[in-house]
Amino acid sequence: MGKSTVIPFGPQHPVLPEPLHLDLVVQDETVIDVLPQIGFVHRGLEKLVETRDYNQFIFVAERICGICAMGHSLGYAETVEELMGIEVPTRAEYLRVIWHELSRIHSHLLWLGLAADAFGFESMFMHCWRLRERILDIFEKTTGGRVILSVVRVGGVARDIEDSELAAICSVLDGIKSEYKEITDTLLTDMSVKNRTVGVGTLTHEQAVDLSMVGPFARASNVSYDVRSFGRGAYGALSDFQPIVDAQGDCYARVKVRCLEVLQSIQIIQELAGKIPQGDIAVKVKGNPDPGARAANVLEQPRGECYYYAQGNGTKFLERMRMRTPTSQNLAGMVEALKGCDLADVNMVILTIDPCISCTER
Amino acid sequence: MGFSTDFKTMDAQAIHEDAQMRKDAGWRYVQMLAVNNDDSADVIYSYMRDGLLENLVVEALPRDAHLPSITDVYLEAFVCENEIHDLFGITFDGLAIDFLGNFYRVSTEVPMTIISPEKLAEREKQRKLEEKKAQAAAAKAAKEAGEAPAEAASDISGAKPGEPLIDEEMEAKLASMPPEKAAKVRAAMEAKAKKQAQDGEDA
Repeated sequence: MGKSTVIPFGPQHPVLPEPLHLDLVVQDETVIDVLPQIGFVHRGLEKLVETRDYNQFIFVAERICGICAMGHSLGYAETVEELMGIEVPTRAEYLRVIWHELSRIHSHLLWLGLAADAFGFESMFMHCWRLRERILDIFEKTTGGRVILSVVRVGGVARDIEDSELAAICSVLDGIKSEYKEITDTLLTDMSVKNRTVGVGTLTHEQAVDLSMVGPFARASNVSYDVRSFGRGAYGALSDFQPIVDAQGDCYARVKVRCLEVLQSIQIIQELAGKIPQGDIAVKVKGNPDPGARAANVLEQPRGECYYYAQGNGTKFLERMRMRTPTSQNLAGMVEALKGCDLADVNMVILTIDPCISCTER
Repeated sequence: MGFSTDFKTMDAQAIHEDAQMRKDAGWRYVQMLAVNNDDSADVIYSYMRDGLLENLVVEALPRDAHLPSITDVYLEAFVCENEIHDLFGITFDGLAIDFLGNFYRVSTEVPMTIISPEKLAEREKQRKLEEKKAQAAAAKAAKEAGEAPAEAASDISGAKPGEPLIDEEMEAKLASMPPEKAAKVRAAMEAKAKKQAQDGEDA
C-alpha cells in the first residue's frame, strides 16, 4: 500500500450536480476515508417564517428545492394543518398525492437522465428528459407551472383536475410507461452499466439500519421503510402498497429501485385517478396556531423521508419551521458507501445516491 | 402500520443515556432541531419505531449550553449537531465529525438566535392587542356589575386635549410598520391633531 493522499472533490466538479465537497483520503486509487462538507448554499429559509405568515410561507417552502417543490409544499401544509387541527377534503388529498407522485416520476427521470449521461449513454439522457418533459406538460396543464406548482394551500389545493383531464393524464402515463420500460430494460441489462455498478459502493442492510438511512438508498439495502406505507391521506385508499426493495445494496440495486419506483408511481396515480371522489378541494382556514402548539410530520419525498416541524405562537407567523431532508439523513451512509471504492467510481456512487444539497441546506 | 406523533420533555442529563437505550431497542434516529426562545433555546430529538414518531424536548437551555453529542451512538446526527452549533450556538461535546463552527458559511454568528425587528414588532402588536382585550373584558365585567367603569371616562391612550389621539390599535399598527413609515404616519397624525385643535380655538 502506498501512502495516503487527500484529494479534494467538489463543490464544483464536472460529475457533481450539487455543491458538495468531499475530502477523499485515498491509498493506491482506493478511497479509505471520506469527509463530506456542505454549507456553500445555505439560504436561511427557515428564518423567513418570522416575516411570512403561515399561508405565505408555503411559497417559500416549495422554493427550497426545484425538484422536490411539490413535496415540500405538501409536507409543510400537512404539518400546519396538523398544528391547527384542519381536516382536508378527501378530493384534495387525492389530488395532492397525484401531483406528488407525478413529481416523484419527474425527479427520478431527471436523475436517470443524469445517471445515463454519466454512464456514457448520452442519447438515453435525452430520452429520459424527453419523457420528463411530458410530466412537466401535465404539470403545466393542471397547475400552470412546470417546476414550481404553487397548487397546495393550507386546507386543501388551489385547483381541481376535471375527470376528463385525469383520464387524459392516465393515457399519457400509459404511453410513458411503455417507452420507459424500453429505456430501463436497456439500461439494466447493459453490460457496461453492470460493470460500473454491480458490487460498487455497497452498503449492507446492517449498515443501512445502523445509520437510519431513508429513501431508495436504504431500500436498495433491503430496508423496507417507506412513509407511504403508513397509509395516510389518499395512500390509505390504495389496494396494495409495498415498498420496492433490493437486497444487494450496491449502485446497481439503487438504480434498479429507482427505475421500478417510477412504474409504482404510475400505478398509484392511475389507481387514485379511478377512485377519486367528488367534493370540495379546500376548506376555509381561520385563526392562528395556538401559542406553544407543536406538530411534527414525515413525508416520502423522491429521495426519502423528509421531517417537518412547526410551532405556533398565537400570531399568524410561526415561531419555528424546520425541515430535515432525506439527504441530510443519508450523508453518513454516503460516507460509508464511498469507503473502499475506487477513485474512478466515486462519481457513480454519489450519482446513485442522488443527493440534494440545496434541500439539505435550505 | 399506522403513524402517530408524540411530544415529551426530557432532561438534558438523560440525552445520551436515552439515545443509547433507544438504539438498543431498535429506534431509528430521525432528526434534531433547536427552537430559539427570548433568552434560551429548546432542543428536540426525534426517533421513530413502528410508526411512532417520538419528539423529546429538552427545554430552556442557556445560550452557551453544552450538550453531550449522540454521534457515538447515532453517527448520522453529526449533520444536525453541527447545524445547531452554527445556527444556535449550542455546543455538543464529543462530536464525531466536528466542523468547529465551519459547517455553514454564515455572515452573522448564530443567526437563528437573532430576534428580528419584524418579530419584535409582531410580538409588541400581539401584546397590545391582548392588553386591549383584557381592558375591554374588565370594562365589560365592571359594567355588568353595575359599577361606573373606572377608565371609561378617560381615554385609554392617556392623551391630553390638543395631543394627538393615538389609541392602542393604532399604536399596534405603527409598531408593525417600518420605522420610517411609522414616523411619517405619526407626524401626519400630529399635524392633523394640531390643526383640529387650532380650528376649535378659532371657532
